[in-house]
Amino acid sequence: CGSKGSNGEASKESKKDTLAAIKDNDKIVFGVKTDTRLFGLKNPSSGEIEGFDIDIAKQIAKDILGDEKKAQFKEVTSKTRIPMLQNGDIDAIVATMTITEERKKEVDFSDVYFEAGQSLLVKKGSKIKSVENLGKGSKVLAVKGSTSSQNIREKAPEASVLEFENYAEAFTALKSGQGDALTTDNAILYGMADENKNYQLTGKPFTDEPYGIAVKKGQSALAKEINASLKKMKSDGRYDEIYKKWIKEDPAE
Amino acid sequence: MDFIGAYSQEHLAFLWDGFLVTLYVAFISIILSFFFGLIAGTLRYAKVPVLSQLIAVLVETIRNLPLLLIIFFTFFALPEIGIKLEITAAAITALTIFESAMLSEIIRSGLKSIDKGQIEAARSSGLSYTQTLFFIVMPQALRRMVPPIVSQFISLLKDTSLAVVIALPELIHNAQIINGQSADGSYFFPIFLLAALMYFAVNYSLSLAARRLEVRQT
Repeated sequence: CGSKGSNGEASKESKKDTLAAIKDNDKIVFGVKTDTRLFGLKNPSSGEIEGFDIDIAKQIAKDILGDEKKAQFKEVTSKTRIPMLQNGDIDAIVATMTITEERKKEVDFSDVYFEAGQSLLVKKGSKIKSVENLGKGSKVLAVKGSTSSQNIREKAPEASVLEFENYAEAFTALKSGQGDALTTDNAILYGMADENKNYQLTGKPFTDEPYGIAVKKGQSALAKEINASLKKMKSDGRYDEIYKKWIKEDPAE
Repeated sequence: MDFIGAYSQEHLAFLWDGFLVTLYVAFISIILSFFFGLIAGTLRYAKVPVLSQLIAVLVETIRNLPLLLIIFFTFFALPEIGIKLEITAAAITALTIFESAMLSEIIRSGLKSIDKGQIEAARSSGLSYTQTLFFIVMPQALRRMVPPIVSQFISLLKDTSLAVVIALPELIHNAQIINGQSADGSYFFPIFLLAALMYFAVNYSLSLAARRLEVRQT
């Protein structure tokens, strides 16, 4: 609706200031997940995407452009999010993306907007109490292409790792007994445990997985605005509200 | 397993939307790849100098690459040379490139299967080479090609699911979103069972139709 071919132009002029373009177009386009519970999940009946990431993105749009309706969402997958940012299809990625040194070479990150840590989900009464119990012969379920599957290989080198397309598929595998534990970020595991009382988190989180909002490399003006917005929503209570709505816990300090 | 929750009206409508995208992408790709495949296969059969060799190199290259790689290429690499495609267009382009190469080989071998004696007879009765190709060889060859072409169309329809990696909102993609609605994965079995039945229904009808065509010819 009324687009001025801005996407095509942006990809050619990589030096162009994204923040200025956002203000010119009066909209900000976020790349989000549509199949991840709690963070970004499409609602089949309304077609709307809902979740923690979405609510944070809306508040950022409100702080930068004055109206949360000026946030637009485009679906990304773990494979497409960085190329779409580089091509100018999206202005920023808010898609459960962990800040890593490797990724910092390709994109710039905002401050941490969600402090996640990798944990284990097991059936109640399981012998596995922590990551140390995952020895030879035990099977861990993880999600493909995520940092969590690399981490578990380092923390439990003896265990075999089975990888699935997404969390729901991995959890189905856990329930059908294809593995002893499911590993991923704790926030997602809390969601699963909350709706399925036979399963619980075990042990302390064994990694530090800070989620960040990614912008195109060199777009420091936009990164600064996003950081200011995150700071503002943490101080005025909007952040805590969103956190409780989705994670069902108080944000840990 | 939660069949009742998984098969709610909203979920079914959403799954149906995905199915329509699958059919749409497959249909357009089938038309385009049949057209390009027919041209490429015929030119290679007719041994047009230079053009035939060029097509041979292209077809052999494409045929020996995984389709997934071609999908990534059309979506991520083409924008770097200034061709920017939307998700659906990128998926259709990738499928058309790949399936045209596959079909051109089916068409070439179909043309080659026609007995040389017929070509000689046609030529000696005064038909030109082009007339022989289009009025004698092609009609017989196309009839013989129906079964392998239809089975290629069936794999094309199944291959549309690979475009889920670039977030094409097709059947598998929408099934995954519905699956994500339940925290414990209890929709997984019902929703993917239904998706499987949908693929089966279309593809099986296609092969039944092909079988009828075959019977009629003999």
